[in-house]
Amino acid sequence: MAEMWISMGPQHPMTHGLWTLKVKVDGETVVDTEPDLGYIHRGVEKICEARDFTQITTYCDRLCYASANTWSHSYIYAAEDLLEVEVPERAEYIRLIAIEIQRIASHLMWLGAYGPDIGNLSIMVWCLREREMMMDLLQELGGSRMHYNFPRIGGVKRDLPYGFAQRARAKLKLFLNRIQEYEALYDESTIFLVRSQGVGYAKPEEMINHGVSGPNLRAGGVNYDVRWAHPYSVYSELDWAAPVERSSIKGADCYDRYRVRIEEMRVSASLALQALDKIPGGADTHYEPEDPMILAKAPSRAPEGTSGAHHFEDSRGESMFYIAGGGEGRGKQPYRVSIRSPIFITIPFAAKCMIGYKVADIPAIMGSFDPCIGETDR
Amino acid sequence: MGKIVSSEVQKEAAEAIVNSISELDGVEAEVVERSSGTHPRNVLVANSSPGSWRSLAEKLYSDHAVDYCSMITGIHWPERDDERKWEVIYHLLRTGVRDPPSEDGVVRPIIVNPSTVRGIGTPVEIEIHVDLADSRTPSIDSVQDIWIGADWNEKETWDLVGIDFDGHEGMRRVLLPHETPRGYHPLQKQHNLRYHGFEEMYDDAQGFMRKSEDVGKIK
Repeated sequence: MAEMWISMGPQHPMTHGLWTLKVKVDGETVVDTEPDLGYIHRGVEKICEARDFTQITTYCDRLCYASANTWSHSYIYAAEDLLEVEVPERAEYIRLIAIEIQRIASHLMWLGAYGPDIGNLSIMVWCLREREMMMDLLQELGGSRMHYNFPRIGGVKRDLPYGFAQRARAKLKLFLNRIQEYEALYDESTIFLVRSQGVGYAKPEEMINHGVSGPNLRAGGVNYDVRWAHPYSVYSELDWAAPVERSSIKGADCYDRYRVRIEEMRVSASLALQALDKIPGGADTHYEPEDPMILAKAPSRAPEGTSGAHHFEDSRGESMFYIAGGGEGRGKQPYRVSIRSPIFITIPFAAKCMIGYKVADIPAIMGSFDPCIGETDR
Repeated sequence: MGKIVSSEVQKEAAEAIVNSISELDGVEAEVVERSSGTHPRNVLVANSSPGSWRSLAEKLYSDHAVDYCSMITGIHWPERDDERKWEVIYHLLRTGVRDPPSEDGVVRPIIVNPSTVRGIGTPVEIEIHVDLADSRTPSIDSVQDIWIGADWNEKETWDLVGIDFDGHEGMRRVLLPHETPRGYHPLQKQHNLRYHGFEEMYDDAQGFMRKSEDVGKIK
């Protein structure tokens, strides 16, 4: 049969954002693929060169609309490396709580969006219901629903509000129970199992060589996680282990990638609960903004020749920022900000994973890698 | 408790790599202690000449199991006094997962216990700076065939910064439109953002207070 190229996207439910996947098909079988990105390239790296270090945080929030907090923290850690700031321990705990709640919210968004991809619409409503709880918690911290602008260089914007610990504990425990509902809904659904098991195999060593990281890699039976491998924050103080799925000899399929994210939500909830118990000063105390317990003084200039970099475990993989100091106004602004987006590196690999499967499997495989085009195109 | 890699083990592992790669010509390496928040971390920072970059990459991959290319950054430094007007920075990681163990033909999962990793299995953070001489068409050897993850990083660096990679197959625009004019790379410093200052940006969002040199131009 004759082979032909067809274009999926930029307006296609599979794409989870604006991008095009060119697929070469032989009948129903995919023989070759080529992703085409850049539809919402906003030039964030260039914009950052004309902003102060403190102003950049808001742009990093907007890199990924599903996981704003992890991205702004990713930038803040690199900026603290550049400006050599020592962060108070209480602020580190508050950050950890914010990051892990955001990770749950991001995975819930993924889980909710993955259902309709493979023909299960009801899960979406369920996931958005629980995501709402997480968004309420984050709103208490940051003040808005999606783009929190929460971390500051040297600490956090605000302390935990009064009563936050109680509400967070109640909601996280309720959420831990509700995860079982998702598992019941997905693992008992024949349609879901048939469509996700045995498609989109990805081998761990290939994923490493392709630069794939995060949950997608841990689904392949490798417990590599930046949180333990290149530790930041206070993960060393808490009791946890990176969730990992024992995949088959062929590697991780879509079902493994779903399982690992479910487990990761459990780990994140447990991390946030432990951090609430262990936070220095107690979770019920409230320090005023700019108190030295939650915000350290930070310089505002970085001279030429300095640089800061930090690897960070984003919801979708290893994100990182590289910042070179010495820009406009004697180092008031960065000279160059470079952003590593995990999904930018994952998309070419995910596109290769589809080769050999049917066209109908493309949404299932692509969705299982959790693409987010906001961070990909930057 | 504390299921993370200890910074002493990481420092030892990084120093072992430093001792080995310092033998190469044109490579200077050292272990730098940086801090992230409250946590110290040891980063291997190396400077390489463009000529020895390729052999350094091969050595890191084959002898030291550096299996993961995280990010490639290109920087344009037109204001520098000397000849080094371009810089490429590679961020590599060692994950210790390149050869998964197999038993009777069945691949075993690689579950590392972070508190007991030693030697070549220790994750190490590597940052390599390569300075390039002043040129209208700067270029450096590609490492696309060593780490496939470098493929799209190199595409992006060429697309946005304009540093070309010798031996890279299938170079094309990834973030900018395909029909972008040749030679246009927006992160080069001759392309200025129109408004630089804080005040201008916010007071003049509507363009009412244009500068005299802006009169008559389309905003």
